[in-house]
Amino acid sequence: MQSKTKKGAVEKAFTGINGFDGILMGGVPKGRATLISGETGTGKTVILNEFIYRGITRFKENGVYVTFEEDERDIIKNVMGFGWNYASLIAQKKLAFVDAGAFQDVTVESGQNYDLSPLVERIKYAIKKVKAKRLVIDGLDNLFSRFQNKDAVRQTLYRIIAELKDLRVTVLMTAEKSGPEQALSRYGVEEFVADGVIELSLIKGQQQFLRRMFVIKLRGTCFRSGIVEFEITDHGLVVYPKIPIEKVAAKTDFQVRKRFGIKGLDDILGGGIPQGHMILFSGNTGTGKTMFGMHFLKQGIDDGENGVFVALEEPVEQVKKTALAHGWDFNRYEKEGSISFVSTNLIDISNDRLLYQIITAVESINAKRIVIDSVSTFLSETMSEEQVRQFLIQLSGYFKANGVTCIMNHIFPLSFAAERGQLLSSLSTTHMRLSSLTDGIVMLLFVERGQKVKKLINVLKLRGSNHSKEILSYEIEKGGIKMGVKYEE
Amino acid sequence: MAVKYVLKLYVTGETPRSQTVLKNLKEILDEDYKGVYSLKVIDVIKQPQLAEDDKILATPTLIKILPPPVARIIGDLSDREKVLLGLDFVAIR
Repeated sequence: MQSKTKKGAVEKAFTGINGFDGILMGGVPKGRATLISGETGTGKTVILNEFIYRGITRFKENGVYVTFEEDERDIIKNVMGFGWNYASLIAQKKLAFVDAGAFQDVTVESGQNYDLSPLVERIKYAIKKVKAKRLVIDGLDNLFSRFQNKDAVRQTLYRIIAELKDLRVTVLMTAEKSGPEQALSRYGVEEFVADGVIELSLIKGQQQFLRRMFVIKLRGTCFRSGIVEFEITDHGLVVYPKIPIEKVAAKTDFQVRKRFGIKGLDDILGGGIPQGHMILFSGNTGTGKTMFGMHFLKQGIDDGENGVFVALEEPVEQVKKTALAHGWDFNRYEKEGSISFVSTNLIDISNDRLLYQIITAVESINAKRIVIDSVSTFLSETMSEEQVRQFLIQLSGYFKANGVTCIMNHIFPLSFAAERGQLLSSLSTTHMRLSSLTDGIVMLLFVERGQKVKKLINVLKLRGSNHSKEILSYEIEKGGIKMGVKYEE
Repeated sequence: MAVKYVLKLYVTGETPRSQTVLKNLKEILDEDYKGVYSLKVIDVIKQPQLAEDDKILATPTLIKILPPPVARIIGDLSDREKVLLGLDFVAIR
C-alpha cells in the first residue's frame, strides 16, 4: 500500500495511524528507515506496534518485530490492551519476532574479533519467513551496553539498515533520548542511517501529561512542519494534525448578515455579522457574553442554520439549563442535530485536540455558526499566548474558508472603572493580540451611574462594514437580552 | 571417558575468521578437554532458525550447554584464559 507521489520521487507507505499520515502527508518513506526518538514513556513503542498491526490488518503488509527491550511474550501481552491479537497473527505467519532481548546466560568475551552478523541473518530470515514489507526495531541502542566492541555494534547497525534497504522493507525504529536537550540518540548512529526522524516529547500539565510530536526530517518528501499533539487511547494512537491555514477567505460575504434576533443589536451591526467573520465579544463576567452567544445560535436555528457551542467556561449541562430558563430548549436542538456542544478538560487544554474537536463538531452537523465561550480560558499552563494566537489563526482560517460565522467571548477584566465621559478609557484587547485576528469587536461594559450598575454595549470595530458608533444600554431579562436606549451621560 | 562438555559454536559463513576461531577452540579443547566434549559447529547463514532459537547476536559465539549453567563466550577465542573461565564457570550458590 502506498500513497500517490510524483513519478521517481520517494514513495510513502501509509502507517494507518489515526492522523499520523496526515502530518506525514501520506506516511513514512517507503522502503526506508524512519527513526522515532524520545525519552522513556513518550510512546515510541506504541507507534511501532500500531505501524506493524495496521500494516498487517489494514494494508496486508506483513511485519517483523525486532526487540532489544521487552521479550516477545511481554509485547504480545501489552498490545492485547489495544485489542491487537499478535498470537493469532504469528500463527497465520503474518508476523514474526526477532527476540534480541537481554539473556540471562553468563557471557564472556574472548578477543574483540567478532561482529553482529547473526542479527542481520536472523532479521533477513524472519522477513523471508513471513514475506514482510514492514519492520520495526525497538531499542537498538541497547546493543551498545551489551558488547564491548562498540565499532562492531556501529558497523552492524549500518549494515542492518543498508541490507534492509535492499530488501525494500519499510523500517521504523526507536532511539532513546536521555534528556530533553540531549541528542536524538545516545550513540548518534540511528539518526545517520534514518531517512526520517520524528521526535516525541511529554509536556507536564497541571493534572496530566500532554504528548507532543515533531517531524524533524522526512528525506525527499514533504510533511507538515510544527509540533502537533497526540494521545494514546485504548485503541491506539490519535495524532491531531494542524489544520493548514487557508490563505483564501473564500466564503466570507459582507452582503450576507447573520442576525442575533435581538431587536436593536442587529441594527447597530448593520444587519448582523457578515458571513464568515469572527467577532470578539469582550466584557467582564456578568455582562451577558454567554447570553449573546445563545441568542446567536438560537436565531441561527430559526433561520435554518446549525450551530456549535464551545463550552469552556461552564459545564454543558449548565449552559443548557440557562438556555432553558429563557425558553430555548438546547437539549432538543442537540437531539435534532441542529446544535452540537464541545467541551474539554479546562486545566490542561490540548490545543490541537480542541481544534480537532471543534472542526469535527462543525463538520458533523454542517454548522454555519459557532460560539466559543470563552477564549480567555485558553491561556493556561499548556497553552501559551503564542499558541492561543496560532490556534485562533488556524480556526479563523478554517471558518472563513467554510463560511462559518463565529462569536468568540473574551473576559475583559474592566469593571466600574469608566470615568464620566471616558467609558472606553483603558482598552487593552491587544493584550492577547486578539484584535488583529478578529473581524470585529463588541465591547460590553458595566458602568455605575445614579447608584445603579448599567450594562452598556458598543460596536468598536466591524471590519469592512458600516456600523453604529453609539453606546447603547441593555438588560438581561427572562427571555433574553433587551436592548435599551442610546446612553447619554 | 564420558562426554561432559556439550558445546555449540556459531559462525557466520566459511570465512577466515571462522577458521581462526575453530583452530583456537580445537587447540584449547585438545589440550585440556580431550575426549570429554562434543562440539557442533553451526553456520547461521545455513541455519538461521537455530540462531533464532539460541538468540545468537554475535559470531563467533561458543555456547556451553553442559555442564550447567549455560555460558556464552563471544569472540575469536584468542584469549585462552577467558575461554577457560567460560567453560568452567560454576554457579555460585
